[in-house]
Amino acid sequence: MQVVNKSLERPTPSAGTDPIVVEGLSKTYQVTDREGGFGAAMRSFVKRKFRDVKAVQNVSFRIGTGEIVGFLGPNGAGKTTTLKMLSGLLHPTSGTARVLGFTPWERNSGYLRAMTLVMGQRNRLSWDIPAADSFLLNQAIYRISDADYKRTFDELNELLELAPIIRKPVRNLSLGERMKCELAASLLHRPSVLFLDEPTIGLDISAQVRIRAFIKEYNRRSGATIVLTSHYMADVTALCERIIIIHHGQLKYDGKLADLSRRIAPFKLISVTLGECSDCDLTPYGTVVPSESNEASAKHSVQVKADEVATITARMLAELPVIDLTIEDPPIEDVIERAFHE
Amino acid sequence: MFILKLLSTYLKVNLQQDLAYRADAIVNMVMSIIGTGWDLLGLSIIFANTKEIGGWGPSELIALMGVWRLVNVMMATIVWPNTEKFNTGVRDGSLDYTFLQPVNSQLLISITRIVIWRAFDLAIAVILIIVGMTGGNVVTSPVQIVAFLALTISGAAIIYSLWITLISLTFWFTKFDNSVTIMAALMDAGRYPAQVYPYWLRALITFVIPIAVATTVPLQALRGELVDLQILGFLAIGVAAVIVSSRVWKAGVRRYSGASS
Amino acid sequence: MFAIYKQMWLVNWAEQWQYRANLLMYLAFWLVSPIVYLAVWTTIASAQGNINGLTAPDFVAYYMMLLIVDIATSDITIHIFAYKIMDGSLSNELVLPIHPVLQKVLVNNLAFKALQMLALVPIWLILYVLYQPVFSITAVNVLLAIPAIAFGFLLQFFAGTTITCISFWTTRAWSISDFYSNIFRLMAGQFVPLALLPAFMQTASQLLPFRLALYFPVQLLLGKLSIEETMLNIGLQMVWCVILFMLFRVVWRTGLKKYSAVGA
Repeated sequence: MQVVNKSLERPTPSAGTDPIVVEGLSKTYQVTDREGGFGAAMRSFVKRKFRDVKAVQNVSFRIGTGEIVGFLGPNGAGKTTTLKMLSGLLHPTSGTARVLGFTPWERNSGYLRAMTLVMGQRNRLSWDIPAADSFLLNQAIYRISDADYKRTFDELNELLELAPIIRKPVRNLSLGERMKCELAASLLHRPSVLFLDEPTIGLDISAQVRIRAFIKEYNRRSGATIVLTSHYMADVTALCERIIIIHHGQLKYDGKLADLSRRIAPFKLISVTLGECSDCDLTPYGTVVPSESNEASAKHSVQVKADEVATITARMLAELPVIDLTIEDPPIEDVIERAFHE
Repeated sequence: MFILKLLSTYLKVNLQQDLAYRADAIVNMVMSIIGTGWDLLGLSIIFANTKEIGGWGPSELIALMGVWRLVNVMMATIVWPNTEKFNTGVRDGSLDYTFLQPVNSQLLISITRIVIWRAFDLAIAVILIIVGMTGGNVVTSPVQIVAFLALTISGAAIIYSLWITLISLTFWFTKFDNSVTIMAALMDAGRYPAQVYPYWLRALITFVIPIAVATTVPLQALRGELVDLQILGFLAIGVAAVIVSSRVWKAGVRRYSGASS
Repeated sequence: MFAIYKQMWLVNWAEQWQYRANLLMYLAFWLVSPIVYLAVWTTIASAQGNINGLTAPDFVAYYMMLLIVDIATSDITIHIFAYKIMDGSLSNELVLPIHPVLQKVLVNNLAFKALQMLALVPIWLILYVLYQPVFSITAVNVLLAIPAIAFGFLLQFFAGTTITCISFWTTRAWSISDFYSNIFRLMAGQFVPLALLPAFMQTASQLLPFRLALYFPVQLLLGKLSIEETMLNIGLQMVWCVILFMLFRVVWRTGLKKYSAVGA
């Protein structure tokens, strides 16, 4: 199957055909255990110990066209393993997945031409040659016509400002510049499904912001479906309406980011600024959250259950010399942290 | 057609890369001329002490040296550089990207890095072969020349297939990533006719690391020492090697993706 | 002081043991060419009876001894260190309180050698049964061979480290190393016992230091040298070791200066 797409703009396929459908996906690895030292090396030479590691267990989800889904979980949770299965690099132990109607691990060339995987910690581009040369190789590999190549490149160039950097050997680029080139190289064939594994890892804040903006704009223009993992919550809050949380290989949460706090952590933060009050004790109102500002500051935060917010606010206003009071949702990092450990 | 276009793109990109290291290329060309001189010096020392070795005279050994260099050209332009790329890819995980591309992965890992200036050795090899062939007093028929060329190609294909097989083994035995070194180590044994060696070394370089099949055998055809059946047999082995090795590669890739573990 | 070496040795040994499969491959490198030359020269010698007085058994004894000495005195610095200079990972080692070359690379070398020797034992025994070489080894020769081999190794080690340090300036250190190996092959007796070289090359090989690292210890162990010749050669080894060590120091220091100036 040849995916024909003449521009980044593409019509949305008819509803009901979700590009990514995953059912009961599991992956178990066998790993060898080995201790350090010479004796251990000798023993393992004779007899190896194997251990099963359940990297992904019975994970199911569907992702619709044009969605950007954040795939979250602590290190070793199984995110990368799942992405590798979805991109066809790994064969699952059990379960099924259909992406754009293909079974990824059959590695049908039509599928490979319609998707892309970007791994922030691994280089697709060759270090020794300029990115422009790697782009040409990709043009040949993905059989992109000169006209299509030019149009796509111009568009990517407009979004990523590639022109000044693609003539230098990749080894001489900064991390941020390299990631721009990596993204461009991965998108030259106009994939309609993108798997981005830590695309902003190691980048400085401004580079993160630029890459983020690019992903958002690419999604808007092309309607591509994007699955993204990141350690930076800012990536997730800026890009993903929906998140999937995976921990110890199991699916913990699948839904709107905004709903997460309601479900996982039905708490609110009440921040109060107090007037003269030397012995004010906030502990009776809820859990006192250690404040980030210095000790002398008069601003304090208390975490309370969502359904008690009204009564506790009233009590505080009545009992304490409150100058200012705000009610906030807890930070998303904390909520997700809770979700991991639930 | 697509493969040709892909290959030419790779050649173009690699050529640009090599041009960035022009000085290196020139130094290395000079080194290979010196190396050839050195090898000829070695031969002259041998033949200062003897008239023939294993029934082969000086000009035949020069021709053998040419064929040996021919195999080395393939090693130096494709096999070694791509082995290095491959091993790096396994270590840092960038090999994953190879399998994401809609092109036969065996082809892709064979042509990712081509050190083109090494093809300079090709000229030296051809000169050595011509000098060696015309220097002797053996009359060569066109049929023998054709058999020689065919066996040289099939010998190279066998060596290439062995390489593919060895790097495929990395998928099963990760610690085995330098198994290709054994090919480099045994290359030296191709400098002299296999008949000189003790039987076990002859068996090793004929059946295990068949460097003799790529060097001694084509030259034997040129000397008219092989019967038709032998020639056809060696050609058949060449074809079989290519087929078997690509099967092994595919199995290795399946293993890599966990499909067969 | 020795505690450091001991610990480094243990770590190195364990590390390299992990790569024992690769080690066998590298061992093949050391084994194949002596065996090839052994085959070539014994074939010629048995066809003619002798070459310049050397018979087939002489060649067998020569190359079998060479297999051991070659491993004992060879140096692998360029293989384990040149890339660190080129890709900048040398920086990680410069911050450690040990000398990256005179301590780390040296111990690496020795650990590698020990493993190679271990792997050589069975192969050498098989070859012994196949070829049945006749050695006339005396206790005095073995005792004298210990310093001869140690200095032979140091000589190659300082030559190898100096060549490797050229990587501070150019990527062509490898070519120079290849060139060195080529000369070594002829001038140290790897290709053929030096007595069989043409006259002018014999003279050259006597003047150059290469033979001290291989041909000399081999001849010593084969009982071909008098005590006086041996002492003279050990003296020459020491002189060359000092010269090459000084050369290494100069190249290392200026190289490091350049390295830190670039800030790699």
